[in-house]
Amino acid sequence: MRGELREARLVEGFATLADTLVEGYDVVDLLQNLVEICQDVLSVEAVGLLLADEGGELDLVASTSEDPRLVNAMQLDAEAGPCRLSFETGEQEALVGLSALDDAPAGWFAFRRAAEQLGYGSVAAVPMRLREKRIGVLSLYRFEAEALSAADLRAAQALADVATIGILHERVAREPDAVRNQLQRALNTRVVIEQAKGVLAHTHGVSTERAFELLRGYARSNRLGLHEVAQRLVGRTLIF
Amino acid sequence: MLSVLSVDLGTVFCMADAYTDALRELREFSGDDPSRLAEPIARSFPVSGASICTLGEILSAETVSASDPVAARLDELQLDLGEGPCWDALRSISPVFEPDIQHSPRGAWPMFLPAVAHEAIGAVFAFPLVVGHLRLGAVDLYCIEPMTLSPLQIRQASTLAAVVSRLVLRRALEAARDDEPMHPPVDRFSRRAIHQATGMVIAQLGVSVDDAEMLLRGHAYAENRSMAEVAADILDGRLRFSIEAEGIEDVQ
Repeated sequence: MRGELREARLVEGFATLADTLVEGYDVVDLLQNLVEICQDVLSVEAVGLLLADEGGELDLVASTSEDPRLVNAMQLDAEAGPCRLSFETGEQEALVGLSALDDAPAGWFAFRRAAEQLGYGSVAAVPMRLREKRIGVLSLYRFEAEALSAADLRAAQALADVATIGILHERVAREPDAVRNQLQRALNTRVVIEQAKGVLAHTHGVSTERAFELLRGYARSNRLGLHEVAQRLVGRTLIF
Repeated sequence: MLSVLSVDLGTVFCMADAYTDALRELREFSGDDPSRLAEPIARSFPVSGASICTLGEILSAETVSASDPVAARLDELQLDLGEGPCWDALRSISPVFEPDIQHSPRGAWPMFLPAVAHEAIGAVFAFPLVVGHLRLGAVDLYCIEPMTLSPLQIRQASTLAAVVSRLVLRRALEAARDDEPMHPPVDRFSRRAIHQATGMVIAQLGVSVDDAEMLLRGHAYAENRSMAEVAADILDGRLRFSIEAEGIEDVQ
């Protein structure tokens, strides 16, 4: 991507994130925007975002694709892969050349095989943290077996930081419970979104992957949150 | 030769209150002992007694609750003999009415009818216990005299049976969960699939999230499979729940 064009889209991305951070915003909408902006701005093919639950387990909350195979790979990454490592170290981690006999930990094998089968060549994991508080990981998938450029990594970290600060802002010190509740709510929202995908998959006779696109499209064109649309679909008060 | 029980208006209103109370009592029931659940049902109608039993392919044949010894005996006869109104109600997923079972029985039960001739039972009404496509048992009402139920009473009894159905299934699933950790814990990926399958069932049957989840779990329980396996079948379209007439059938 040409330099200026990329800069322009990055600025637009930050503006979109900032727009999402209005009073009463939904964390899932914020994170869904974040992964889509990353996919748009960075040289990556797929982006996932995982939040930690109270037990420190990472769960996929937003992804640029709902392909179950990719979701599975991301979830394996969260158990044993660069994503898990990044959450533990609080640093950026990467794995380049998924098929190469490198010195990657043996425990990462399941994740590596799953990602490789989908054609991915490298993965970068960017922590979502503010000082010592870690809330999740942004994971970036590339087809190329080549590390993400330093500029892309900086941009990814900056986008992740905006979202993290948006979630945590100054409440960490004041109301630790509020943050925990908000993160838990985001994880719960994911449950309702999965159910809504099932509803749409049946009513439209499409895959769950396509069902999410329909859900996302409806929410966006009607300026509604994903959670609200999903909730109404599941409660059968909304049919489209 | 149908002798109609004459009931004054006061009794009717009393029954209406008893029905509302019974509905609330059954909906709010959360105790361990279901053996008194037939009593509020019996009080809701101008009948002599009521019983709740489980039977069929999913749950073992047993009386859950009986409001009096005759109601218990009525259940026992049907369960022992393997025939009678409750079996037919469950098989057809619709109520079975025997307003004058001694003199003009509608059903043909070679063993049950001679047996019931020895009992002080004039009328029997059986309502099936079903959740979705899962057949669980029946609620029996009996009266020592021949009698008929009004359309309203039939609707009310069906509603009570629907509440009892969920209660019975929920208890069975809880007991199964406590008894044996049948299946390994569900991983996150499968959990997503289960949520998606729940959504498919919601759309297929137009039921609530809670009911859809219970149907999935009940189906897994009935087939002794894991919820993840059942969810995968639903997502692949190998298993589909659809409404057929009054009941719900799974199309394999």
